[in-house]
Amino acid sequence: MRYFTGIDIGSTAIKITIIDENKELVGHKISASGSMFYKYAHQTLDDLMKELNISKDDIAYTVATGYGRKLFKEADENISEITANAIGAVAAAKEYGEIKTIINIGGQDSKAISLDDMGNVVNFAMNDRCAAGTGKFLDACAMNLEIGVEELAHRHFSSKGTPLSINSTCAVFAESEIIGLLGNNHSVEDIVCGVHYSIAKRVIKLVKRVGIKEGIYFDGGPALNAGLVNAIENELGKKIFIPAYPQVTTSYGAAILGVDSYSYQNRE
Amino acid sequence: MKRIRDFIHKADMKRFRFWLQIFFFVIFIYGGYFAINLGTSIPVFSCGFDQEVGGMCYFLPLQHQLARPLDVLFSVASISVLIGFVTFLLWFIVFNKAWCGYACPLGTMQDWLTGLRKRLGIRYSTYTQPQFNKLKKIKYIMLALVILSPMAVGMGLLEREWVTAFCSICPGRMVTPLFVGDTSQWSLDFSSKSAMILTALGLVFTGLFVVGSFVKKRFFCFFCPMSAMHYIFSDAALLKLKKDGDKCTKCGDCYAVCDMQIKDIADDVTSTNILRDDCILCLKCVAACPEDDALHVDILNMKLFTSTKGGFEKRMGMQTYKGAADE
Amino acid sequence: MNSLQSHAIETPNEKQNRHKAMEAIKVLNTLKEGFKAPPKAMDYFYNLFEDVYCKQKPLHKDKVKVGTMCIQIPSEIIYALDGVPIRLCNGFYTDDEIGSEFLPQKACPLVKASVGHLASKNLIDKPDMIYSPTTCDQKTKAGTLIKSFGYDVVDVDFPRTKESEISREFFRRSIREFSADLSLKMGKKLSRKKLKASISKIGYAQSLYHRLSDFRKNRAVPILGNDMFLVTNAFFFDKIDNWIDACEKLVDELEQRVKDDIHAGGKISPRIVYTGSPPIFPNYKIPIIIEDSDAIIVADETCSSNRMFNDRVAVDEWFVNDMIDSLADKYLKACTCPIFSKNDDRIRRIIELVRSFNADGVIYQAFAGCTVYELEQRSVLEAMEREGISILYIESDYSPSQQGQLSTRVEAFVESLKIKNRNKT
Repeated sequence: MRYFTGIDIGSTAIKITIIDENKELVGHKISASGSMFYKYAHQTLDDLMKELNISKDDIAYTVATGYGRKLFKEADENISEITANAIGAVAAAKEYGEIKTIINIGGQDSKAISLDDMGNVVNFAMNDRCAAGTGKFLDACAMNLEIGVEELAHRHFSSKGTPLSINSTCAVFAESEIIGLLGNNHSVEDIVCGVHYSIAKRVIKLVKRVGIKEGIYFDGGPALNAGLVNAIENELGKKIFIPAYPQVTTSYGAAILGVDSYSYQNRE
Repeated sequence: MKRIRDFIHKADMKRFRFWLQIFFFVIFIYGGYFAINLGTSIPVFSCGFDQEVGGMCYFLPLQHQLARPLDVLFSVASISVLIGFVTFLLWFIVFNKAWCGYACPLGTMQDWLTGLRKRLGIRYSTYTQPQFNKLKKIKYIMLALVILSPMAVGMGLLEREWVTAFCSICPGRMVTPLFVGDTSQWSLDFSSKSAMILTALGLVFTGLFVVGSFVKKRFFCFFCPMSAMHYIFSDAALLKLKKDGDKCTKCGDCYAVCDMQIKDIADDVTSTNILRDDCILCLKCVAACPEDDALHVDILNMKLFTSTKGGFEKRMGMQTYKGAADE
Repeated sequence: MNSLQSHAIETPNEKQNRHKAMEAIKVLNTLKEGFKAPPKAMDYFYNLFEDVYCKQKPLHKDKVKVGTMCIQIPSEIIYALDGVPIRLCNGFYTDDEIGSEFLPQKACPLVKASVGHLASKNLIDKPDMIYSPTTCDQKTKAGTLIKSFGYDVVDVDFPRTKESEISREFFRRSIREFSADLSLKMGKKLSRKKLKASISKIGYAQSLYHRLSDFRKNRAVPILGNDMFLVTNAFFFDKIDNWIDACEKLVDELEQRVKDDIHAGGKISPRIVYTGSPPIFPNYKIPIIIEDSDAIIVADETCSSNRMFNDRVAVDEWFVNDMIDSLADKYLKACTCPIFSKNDDRIRRIIELVRSFNADGVIYQAFAGCTVYELEQRSVLEAMEREGISILYIESDYSPSQQGQLSTRVEAFVESLKIKNRNKT
């Protein structure tokens, strides 16, 4: 049995997925990028292989993607995270149906990708210059409200009033705004809701640039936050599909590309 | 095959046109000396007042034919009118308005005046766009005169002098016979008031013709009723001026060289048939176009002469790259 | 104490020269060594840029240098009056930073760099006079700003629409004024013979470019887009006879390369048409990223390259005024700059380039701060969509940062083109 690895080296987290030659998921692992992501990527990969009882020789092909893809020189190939995300999304949502639009909110960026009927990328838009509308913003807000990131969803759904609007365009200045709101005795729940809607509105603007087509897929770490998902759905007015493991869609896509590249290169 | 095509596309249009115009001039003006008679339905101003004409301008017999009383005109007796018209059409259809650019003696005379002006180092003048728009309608008024004046005589509304009203005022009548030494047309006819008015106008227009063609390229063609007549049937002709708008970069080179100041040739990038009513099909535009295949003249949908980069470079006197093998 | 005193501080001019030389040499080295071996004839151009920007060698010592701020000033007239046209559009980040003191931060980096360069007064071939056509807002205002630095700047009226007869007559008069003004300043009269000769020479230079371009229509493209940008950029300031000689050699070599089937790109490199804000040396950031991402630029629609050479002038009667009018017409009517109200000609041109060069996609690059290119983006994108042509819109500026973000976008686009190509077969 041959195995294929997809490594997504992001600015915040490293995601590794291993699949078999039938493109079935075998295992995945997530770790923080830190400052020496090259070393951590190797370490994470070694740990994963040990867990799954796979040796280096069993890995037929490795594809790297993400911000740090070019630095992982051991990879057989590297592709942009946009292409990888598209491939991964189409595969992960196989049972759900056709995916035409992908929303990705990462640690430090957010993307919107538009696909055609065959699942190929036709258009994409990125926001990688500003932290507003990214995972960083959620982290910062949670820290300011002195709660854990995993509590955000629960707080969102416990909100009683209307979501407060966060006006600042900059994530850094939004922090001061939040502190101001706390000072005015607004509840943490309402503020959390406001933060989610602020991110949702920003992301929808990004998605509009590529066109919103039915069959919407949402991935990236923040997709685990049900409250944020709820805000996005309400802003879009449509239901969106969340995969079981939203953080690893891109690395999953990279691994699938590995299978295709390997069979293309070794065809008769 | 390719070499023949290259030879055509890179040809020196000016020289070719100059000699072809002389050829037709001799045939039409002096044809009688060589016992050439091409009939009376010729689609150019080959004036019938020239005794030795080799083929007569269609308007002269047309006006006489239209001067019949209406009941005769629209009877079977007028089958000759129809035959004359069909013959005219058959002559016309082959070369479309290239008759104007290459064969018309009056046109050739204007080009000679232009040549004289160039030698004297004097620059040509042009119409402004508003002037252009107002004046271009005059040729249709002239065509109406050609057709309606004799018919009015036939209906008894005008005296007999008005049968050939257009011929009376046409510069061709006065200028063309000069080439065979005949100055009899240079006179004012005092026999009747109409005759006086018409011949006076003739002298005035001839004067305008000479001065106008000297300062402006092909001055008369802008007002020519034959041109108006041509344009009505030009869609049926075999020779067509075509444009491929996708290749056009709107550089305006064609407009800069056009004698008739036709803007559409440069600005219209959607029409394929780019022949406009003022066009004399001199093909200067095709010769001046620096793109491959943007402008071309087709015969029966086959490209006869097309714009080429190599042809442009040669004609503009540009250095061509040594041993430039043509593509 | 001694160690502090012995450390001499650079003068601002020395620092500027050094930084600019660093920028220049970085790009030149990338072009020379970062890709497959370039044609030998390119050595002339690499050396030229090194001489001018690293060694500060002046080229036109005893000639009158006429600076131009945009492409619309007819160089034919300048050559005919024995002047040398120098296009002042600048691509250095160093100069961009200097210019930031005079212009708002969000202004077009090209204008900032040009202004900065002139403000520093540290020029190798300093222009004796500058003609500034009133094209985009930023260039128009920059003209007056540059005048305040002490240069002799003359505004040349340029219309914002080009379809009407009014704009044609307007620009014809404008160029006549320009020609009279230059003639006065040079103390010479514009002669028929000289003008005809300069039209012919520039026409020849243009036809050389056409020949070079035609080679790129081939399936195996013999020269990189970046190298072509360098060649056309050289025309901004090089001695025209030297440029023509070098191009002739390049034509010969490319002809041989085509025969030998040498391909400057990769086997499955998608073919790109590049359009938008002009990439001026050394700001080849985006074109280098494109060709680094295994794509190849086969044609472009930019005013620093294609537009200068594309349209040649035809004259009916070779009188001086006739030639001047024909020049004015060509520089106006054929211009596809986005400053005009309508941009149909630019869209048609891009589509025509995609078709005739068999391109896989278009990359439209706009400077952040360039209002006109940013505004046109929408109509161009829609037109491309209608024609079924893939297009990537990307914004950048002169700063050396954001390499990763830009390369991600370009690579994603190139990957989608490769997949599209694979699906076609």
